[in-house]
Amino acid sequence: MSSVELLQIWIIAFFTLALFSFLYKDNPVYKLAEHIFAGLSAGYYVGLVWDTVIITQLWDPMLAGDYWLVVPGIMGALMFTRFSPRFSWVSRVSLAFVMGVTSGIFLVSQLHGLVLPQMQSTMQSLGTDNGIGAMFLAIVVVIGVISTLIYFYYSKEHKGVLGVTARIGIWFIMVSFGAHFGYTVMGRVSLLIGRVQFLAEDWLGSFSHIF
Amino acid sequence: MSFWKTIEDIDRRWVYLMVGLAVIIPFIFPTEFPISITPETQMLYDAVEAVPDSSTVMVVFDYYPSTIAECQPMSVAALHHFFRKDCKVITLSNIPLGGPSMAETVTRRIAPLYDKEYGVDFVNLGYKYGYVAVLSGMGTSIESIFPTDNSGTPISKLPLMDSVRNYDQIAFIFEVADNATADYWVSIVNAQYGVPMCCGTTAVGAPKYYSFVQAGQFVGLLGGMKGAAEYEILLSKPANAVLGMGAQSLVHLLIIAMVILGNVGFFASRRNKRKVTP
Amino acid sequence: MRTTVPVAIAFLSGFLMVVSFFFREEATFIGGLSQNLLIWLTIVGGFTLLLGVVSITRVNWNAVKARKEGWIFKVFTLVSIFAMAVPAVLPSSWSPLFGRAEGSIYDWLFTYLDMPMMATMFATLAFYIASAAYRAFRARTAESTILLVTATVVMLWRVPMGEAFLNQFPGDIPTFLNTYIMNGANLAVQRGIIIGAALGAASMSLRIILGIERTYMGKG
Repeated sequence: MSSVELLQIWIIAFFTLALFSFLYKDNPVYKLAEHIFAGLSAGYYVGLVWDTVIITQLWDPMLAGDYWLVVPGIMGALMFTRFSPRFSWVSRVSLAFVMGVTSGIFLVSQLHGLVLPQMQSTMQSLGTDNGIGAMFLAIVVVIGVISTLIYFYYSKEHKGVLGVTARIGIWFIMVSFGAHFGYTVMGRVSLLIGRVQFLAEDWLGSFSHIF
Repeated sequence: MSFWKTIEDIDRRWVYLMVGLAVIIPFIFPTEFPISITPETQMLYDAVEAVPDSSTVMVVFDYYPSTIAECQPMSVAALHHFFRKDCKVITLSNIPLGGPSMAETVTRRIAPLYDKEYGVDFVNLGYKYGYVAVLSGMGTSIESIFPTDNSGTPISKLPLMDSVRNYDQIAFIFEVADNATADYWVSIVNAQYGVPMCCGTTAVGAPKYYSFVQAGQFVGLLGGMKGAAEYEILLSKPANAVLGMGAQSLVHLLIIAMVILGNVGFFASRRNKRKVTP
Repeated sequence: MRTTVPVAIAFLSGFLMVVSFFFREEATFIGGLSQNLLIWLTIVGGFTLLLGVVSITRVNWNAVKARKEGWIFKVFTLVSIFAMAVPAVLPSSWSPLFGRAEGSIYDWLFTYLDMPMMATMFATLAFYIASAAYRAFRARTAESTILLVTATVVMLWRVPMGEAFLNQFPGDIPTFLNTYIMNGANLAVQRGIIIGAALGAASMSLRIILGIERTYMGKG
């Protein structure tokens, strides 16, 4: 392992342990790491936008003759008028364009790509064509979907049949959220394992190269 | 103060210490338990196996560095799988903070193992803002959305992209995501262009995507580090995800024990209160 | 004027994108126009990423100028922003340290500082979730008991040690959990939520296109 690699590992380990130190108590080392992290993350966007937008999508194509791109270039620059209380209304043009295009795509894709396929796959055969187990599962899914949708329907008071269905929905939701919580614990623990793997293997392993 | 009250009011830093030890100990004393394969992972593996060799595929790095421990093993395994099948791999990312960098690092680490050449066997398109526009726009023309690759090379100069104009030439999409961009790949790309796709996602997002698998919108699903470990086992390439299962097991058991202990203490305290104040 | 023009732009651009769903070929006028709008969106939207950078720079600069509490740390934030940004925008032809390529200052700072710190920030969540599970996860009601029992069983099932434990009991518990919990009750609820959220997103999109929803414009 070269001395540069060793230095890199130790820098990573220092900042990792600095951030973990917050678990004991807030301290200046943690604050230092936190502020550097915030600054680096913000600075990352500058390089990214400069390279992928300003140079690649505006400057180079305009030099090649695509002069229409000056329109989105100006709209993008107008975004910064948001910082001026007097001229912030100018940025509405850019925002409206972004929201308009995005909404147009969403309107179709959400219905065509999510609602319809999900509804279609809920309408499974409730017969015994694929066995008793599949039939039971299909019934569970249909009841679960309908009762969940009813539970989240707040425009009418949950009384009578609606109330009973919403009650069934809560039971389904509790099972799902319980599963979700179990998975969430798994996810968070995995992220910790990743950092500990680095500290245990790379950082502690570097000690043998130093001593 | 009663024993149960003491247990309930324990300083949280002792809990942190126990969790820390539960993660560290399996690395010092490794244990192995068999890892069973869930049907969703098996479906994903079978679907990728069924992709014709030498096809052009997409591997999408839609995850932040914060979830690298869960998602990176999935993307690494996916690249192993596709390169093993001699597939041409196009990588991209819809994540501004680190996505293209991670795609670059991972592909350049894995590709040499299979003698793959950049520009011929794999390409990193990088990142463009607005995943909705990117996903929709690539349906017509990939080059109009990504005129250059991540390094600034015009994609017209990359041999791999000569035969790839839009999704029609893409045989499969392997999406690795830690956020809702997977929903947009399904609703825009799979629904409108019919490209088969699968998803590797964090454990936090996995419960949601079972409905996409059942609807056939995803052909398979990897859920969290366990899912990544299963995929590594199927590929016979055990790596970081498999190694992490020991620590995962111990921490889960610890948390379950703490939940049970907490509830026992809660009911004991409640019963004591009822005895004191009838 | 200040509201009418943006509303008109939102309507025209949104309407065009809906219509273009039926005219996919770039050779058609609508198809070609919509493709150009998508490209324009990637450009205009890219500038929004810089809004946050400008904001954080302003806030920290003002805090340093006014010597607010903790201003020393804000100096480090500003130094970090410029240390990352300046070398990235300088031409790589001047030096391999400039630009965004592998080996540049930008790439090094991201790979060896930013990325590990981002991973560590999220890794600390494991401690918090364990503490929260211990302190707050109580079987107070029947519903919370269902949630707690399901969570416990799923946590057991998703790790090899736990699955080996569950396999000691009669019946194939892991398969039962996968089939009837994850692909049964969980799937049903998540599907209901997906359908509801998608309908909500579609209706909100329609409201934006029709100009009914204008909150994105802000005040002024």
